[in-house]
Amino acid sequence: MPGIIVFSEDGALAQQLLTPALELKKSLNQPVTALTQDENTANALATLADRAVLLKAAKATPEAIAPEIAEFCAREQASVVLIGGTLRGKHVAAQIAAKLEAGMTTDAKTLKITDGKLQTTRILYAGLAVSEEEVSLPAIATIPARTFLAPASNGTSAKVEALEVKPDDRITVTGTTSIGTEGVDITAAHKLVSVGRGFRAKADLKLAEDLAGALKDAELACSRGVAEDDHWLPLERYVGISGQIVKPELYLAVGLSGQVQHMVGCRESKVIVAINNDERAPIFEAADYGIVGDLYQVLPLLTAALKN
Amino acid sequence: MPKLLVCYKWTLDEQDIKINPADLSLDASRAKGKISDFDRQAIEEATLIVEKQGGTVAALSYGTPTVKQSLKDVLSRGPNKAFYIADKSAESADAYVTASVLAAAIRKIGPFNFILLGEGSSDMFYQQTGPRLAQLLGIPCVSFVQKMEIEGDVLKATRKLSDSLEEVSVKGPAVISVLSEINKPRIPTLKQVLGAAKKPNEEVKIADLGLTPAQLAPKAVRKSAKGFVMNRKHIVYKESDAAANVAKLAASLAAEGLR
Repeated sequence: MPGIIVFSEDGALAQQLLTPALELKKSLNQPVTALTQDENTANALATLADRAVLLKAAKATPEAIAPEIAEFCAREQASVVLIGGTLRGKHVAAQIAAKLEAGMTTDAKTLKITDGKLQTTRILYAGLAVSEEEVSLPAIATIPARTFLAPASNGTSAKVEALEVKPDDRITVTGTTSIGTEGVDITAAHKLVSVGRGFRAKADLKLAEDLAGALKDAELACSRGVAEDDHWLPLERYVGISGQIVKPELYLAVGLSGQVQHMVGCRESKVIVAINNDERAPIFEAADYGIVGDLYQVLPLLTAALKN
Repeated sequence: MPKLLVCYKWTLDEQDIKINPADLSLDASRAKGKISDFDRQAIEEATLIVEKQGGTVAALSYGTPTVKQSLKDVLSRGPNKAFYIADKSAESADAYVTASVLAAAIRKIGPFNFILLGEGSSDMFYQQTGPRLAQLLGIPCVSFVQKMEIEGDVLKATRKLSDSLEEVSVKGPAVISVLSEINKPRIPTLKQVLGAAKKPNEEVKIADLGLTPAQLAPKAVRKSAKGFVMNRKHIVYKESDAAANVAKLAASLAAEGLR
């Protein structure tokens, strides 16, 4: 019997995927099977989905997981496969799609079944446009973290099944470093002070740090140039289409021009504030509030004002 | 010495696309073409490797007939030869079609030790072509690579996996998708631009690739595309007195409950 299958190696994201999956279940009238890689998540998924499957792998590399899930999807006659849109998930999803010769959409924002096809919305041209897409079934979609809230438990608990994953020895892993060793996740921050290339030197970022301090629980974020070209801040702090996607209460952009590739990473923020000396900078078109002025003059004044 | 291939996409420059305010339709009539941003990093990486240790770099692109406009640009960035597939099917191609066409072309013009491409294209950003291509060719794929080097027939890479960085090694042939942070692509010099005109290019006819009509029919079909509009307040304080501007902004933040 055909079914809806979800997978993420990320526990929170795996649970969030159940929200669109259960919505699609209403249209397709097919059971939802949730796959993950750790036992606690599998137990949680068992209270949300019709079936929960724990992938057991000595080496859970994306290349090892992908063929195993693809085979599972083929066996279960998957109609829709939803995969958590992490980098690992995107690799796994694309390989499943190739193996199943299926269509796939990336970073879906909404999903529904129309005329027997999966209809989704996603962004194009680095965020300039939004498109509606139809994918024939079986359809694969990746969904970014925090697109949906996790559903409440259905009060019952399915038995957790196990699926052995064979290693793929074609790629040898010789070392692993975890990212974000400083322990900062800017996507979790309520307020962000985001710095662009209007700063003349790395030492000047102190002005932004002071402002973040005055705003209390604010973290520092930045544009791609500041992280990749200047190396003033770690890569995990840069916001944009190929960086972090953030939705804080306040996004305060300083000396940052606001190219579309950057804005797509922060445009769902509740309030956007821009401080820039160029009145024509695109950031002002995306801002709720702004000051046209020299950041070296404005920042100390704003920090002082917020401290009062 | 490695024989490398870089796949790239000739896309519209999104900076030139305008949104029609009346109906949010997209106006691309003034948009120029460009080599997709992340593919430029792949071209640069392959070129750096070959400049350092010898070998060859070929480039391959599948696009509409406008793809021919990309040849001089791509060859000025380092590759020795450019292959292109110019076909109208590219206009509506999804990643399924693109990977099918590229895989068939690579079987014809290959083999290569390593095939490099960007993590995604700057227009659609599906991020699927690399892993799909590897699957179709039956070879491994290391995706989201931040750093790489080639020693003999082995490629050593650092790949990004959401929460961690992994050092991996893989024996060719393999597909490698690169992240934008891997390098800063060169701006070709006048000499490189002039030299590009002397380098060879070759058309690969889609009819010669043995693809079925089903392999050229997209499974993900775009029904509409509309400009994204944000509803923002656009309150900008721009008096000459910075202190007055700051006082107003501080009051606005307080009113929003953000102080």
